[in-house]
Amino acid sequence: MKEDDFLKEFIRHLFPRVVLRSNLRLTYTFCLGGLAFTAFLVLILSGALLLFHYQPSTERAFASILYLENSVPGGWYVRNLHRLAGNTFLILLFLHTLRVLLTGAYRKPRELNWIIGFVILCLALFEGYTGYLLPMDQLALWATQTGMNLLATLPFGELLRSFLVPDDVGQPMSLVRFYVLHIAVIPLCMLILCMLHFYRIRKDKGVLPYL
Amino acid sequence: MSDYVKASPHFFNIVKVAFAVALLCLLFFAFFVQAPLQGPADIGRVPNPSKSAWFLMWTQELVSYSNAMIYLILGLGLVFLLLPWLPISRPADKAQWLPADQRTVNLLALLSFCGIVLLTVIAMYFRGENWSFVFGF
Repeated sequence: MKEDDFLKEFIRHLFPRVVLRSNLRLTYTFCLGGLAFTAFLVLILSGALLLFHYQPSTERAFASILYLENSVPGGWYVRNLHRLAGNTFLILLFLHTLRVLLTGAYRKPRELNWIIGFVILCLALFEGYTGYLLPMDQLALWATQTGMNLLATLPFGELLRSFLVPDDVGQPMSLVRFYVLHIAVIPLCMLILCMLHFYRIRKDKGVLPYL
Repeated sequence: MSDYVKASPHFFNIVKVAFAVALLCLLFFAFFVQAPLQGPADIGRVPNPSKSAWFLMWTQELVSYSNAMIYLILGLGLVFLLLPWLPISRPADKAQWLPADQRTVNLLALLSFCGIVLLTVIAMYFRGENWSFVFGF
């Protein structure tokens, strides 16, 4: 089997072999899950390009963004794309969740996929939050600081805060932790959960919407 | 099996179109929607008001009324998480928009959605110095 065929077969196996004809109506799902996953893929690719120039240190982070914006060919565009895809991803996930609720697609026998989707939504919010600090501009610093104040109001919030921000917001250790969470830990967890989400759709075929 | 069609090509065609449309829209609008970048982070210059990321602003607005509101958010989150197991939600036999047998869930979801949007708009456009209410336009 050629490599191209293998990839096609792999993608096909993530989805059900047959689908209900009535579930293919566009007004049924508006393809919100598929659109959100597309935005996620764009985020991964544009984020990977940004990694080539971003420096996760308190002294160099802001300068590296300025360099990316002003001196790297197309750097401003990749950053715009990453930001836009991030915002779009969150909006689409939010709407997808609302659609799942309003069509009753969270109900048994798809309760496990509802939980997986819920965790993906929470991780996406956390991913967006950790990405906010990385440019190390005024907006990044104070939005993150305000987020930390919100976190502190949660039960065990101080414990979480001390893990995320062992020194202080915008200080070296917190920047490194946000960076590692943003570029590796959370995206990896999300990718695994997305695959599991698709697999469960395949397992639960025939009952409810697919996209 | 007459109500079923093969996923390939029927379902995959829709996936492909959705993928292409989303990709092209993002690639196009990225030319025009600038990612914001302010001056370098300075712990000595505190903005007033200090606002969180846009997707968390609704929580900031809610907590500004009372810290106890965080428990409302957590409680609501827990209700939604456990929804399939609550007595108000019965197993689904078919999928449709706003099914009549889950009116409470429909109402709860719509109210929560509208509440989140409203609180985000208030926090984003109608909050000024010291989080006082101002007309943004």
